[in-house]
Amino acid sequence: MRSIVQVLAAAVFAATAVARPFAAGPKVVTTTEDLAAIVREVGGDRVSVESLARGYQDPHWVEAKPSFILKLNTANLLVAVGRELEIGWLPALITQSRNTRIQPGAPGYLDASGNVKILEIPPGQITRAMGDVHPSGNPHYWLDPDNGRRIAQAIRDKLGELAPGDRAYFAQRYEDFDRRLAEAQKRWDAAMAPFKGAKIVTYHRSWPNFADRFGLNIIGYVEPKPGIPPSTQHTVDLIAEMKRQNVKVILVEPYFDKKTPNAIARDTGAVVLDMLPSVGGVAQASDYIKLFDYDVDLLVATLKKVSGK
Amino acid sequence: MDWSILPFLAAPFVASLILTGIHAYLGVHVVERGVIFVDLSLAQIAALGAILAMLLPFSDGDPHGPGVYWMSLGFTFVGAAIFSFVHGRQARVPQEAIIGIAYAVASALAIVMLSKTTSEAEHLKEMLVGNILGVTWPQALKTALLYSAVGTFHFVCRRKFLAISLDRERAAADGISVRLWDFLFYASFGFVVTSSVAIAGVLLVFCYLIVPSVAAMMYADRIGPRLAIGWTMGTVVSMLGMYLSVVLDLATGATIVCTFGLVLIVMTIARPAFVRIGGHR
Repeated sequence: MRSIVQVLAAAVFAATAVARPFAAGPKVVTTTEDLAAIVREVGGDRVSVESLARGYQDPHWVEAKPSFILKLNTANLLVAVGRELEIGWLPALITQSRNTRIQPGAPGYLDASGNVKILEIPPGQITRAMGDVHPSGNPHYWLDPDNGRRIAQAIRDKLGELAPGDRAYFAQRYEDFDRRLAEAQKRWDAAMAPFKGAKIVTYHRSWPNFADRFGLNIIGYVEPKPGIPPSTQHTVDLIAEMKRQNVKVILVEPYFDKKTPNAIARDTGAVVLDMLPSVGGVAQASDYIKLFDYDVDLLVATLKKVSGK
Repeated sequence: MDWSILPFLAAPFVASLILTGIHAYLGVHVVERGVIFVDLSLAQIAALGAILAMLLPFSDGDPHGPGVYWMSLGFTFVGAAIFSFVHGRQARVPQEAIIGIAYAVASALAIVMLSKTTSEAEHLKEMLVGNILGVTWPQALKTALLYSAVGTFHFVCRRKFLAISLDRERAAADGISVRLWDFLFYASFGFVVTSSVAIAGVLLVFCYLIVPSVAAMMYADRIGPRLAIGWTMGTVVSMLGMYLSVVLDLATGATIVCTFGLVLIVMTIARPAFVRIGGHR
């Protein structure tokens, strides 16, 4: 058995050596297209970047394909969302990649959530008796542009570490992204300003950072608990609450079943909106700034209609 | 095809051969007994045990820890006991109905438990279901040893197991303790299925169990040839499925399942030609 393992290990090394030609710069793999978009902003043409999940897929669960292992095997840097978002599929792939550079804790592994603002972290000591808590907070933090900026900073620093010769280039690309993002933020804030405090319902807990940034008030979720399909009693309660508070907008991520949201909408006169949680969810949302352009435009148009403002 | 993927597929492929080996054999029994969905049901009962263990303090919430493993195994044995006891000779309720009910109730209980407890549970189901692409050498080796033990046990006691699977009434009349051997069958079967689901997922395990023995039934009556056909088919499908998943860049487990369906259809269409040439049946 041992000799078989040794032969295979040798084959692996041979395979990696062949499959890794000296590219122009670090080869970056990200778990989601949002992170890939930000790597592209900062890394420009000095890095190559690929995302494992597509923008229209649910990042909680991505079916592993053989190509994922090859991508990870040759990567110099893996950027993950972290906060347990990818816990259902990424750890086995990282092990299977046999790439020591990108193992958690190694220099080629970047958890993008290090410096960002995380919501829904339970305060104080966490014990099991507290029940409904997610110890590391809500993982959908990239939906706040300020967090996008912080992710870009972390990527700039990490790329500079891996390719010190290009540090100035990455810094300059970051400055440019930062400036364009700040301009866009002024635009989004102005568009959303009339709707501060607008009450909405969302399917999954994907939008707390977005709501926090733009002053939306999420009064409930279609899911009774994250990952649990809608139940009758919860749906009835939600409909009553929406009627009481006169809530007219339901945000649904593209990968969830719209049957229940549509039923709720019929009963309450609300509008079901296909909001995009990730870059690449539709062709238009092709980069990080365009993702917010798309979501803000969609939301503002709908809020205008339902509020008559 | 990008050949550099091969070293990474070696352990998953060996795992798929191990699955073929034990499941094509167990599948013959399962199909003969007409308890097609027993593995889905036992897998769901095992998952229920695992989820319950995860929610109790003694497991420390570690999905791969010993607490979770023993609890899910314990649940599997309870399921095995139930299935072996409801199969009385005078039972008017078909056993398959009990198996279906157990499946539905175990699934629903898991949902109810998840909805009442920590939201950490949102990832729980995903962690309990394996992916054939993620199989490592130590896992493959451990599985091979475990299944060899189960296989040896079944080989030693093959007469009793076969007698009951082929003709229950006669086995009972011959003085075999049908309930005991049924329990041993379902318990060892549940043990295998629980471990298989953890490395390959429910759908794939179901296919490895049922499809080869069904395909073999079309071509042979005796157990020996059936096993040979089943093992050959399982091996060919594993290879073809993995090849297609690399070439078309599709999820490996799902591609193997589809390949099983495809090969079964081809074998069904080809059968008349074989029967004519062979002249038997």
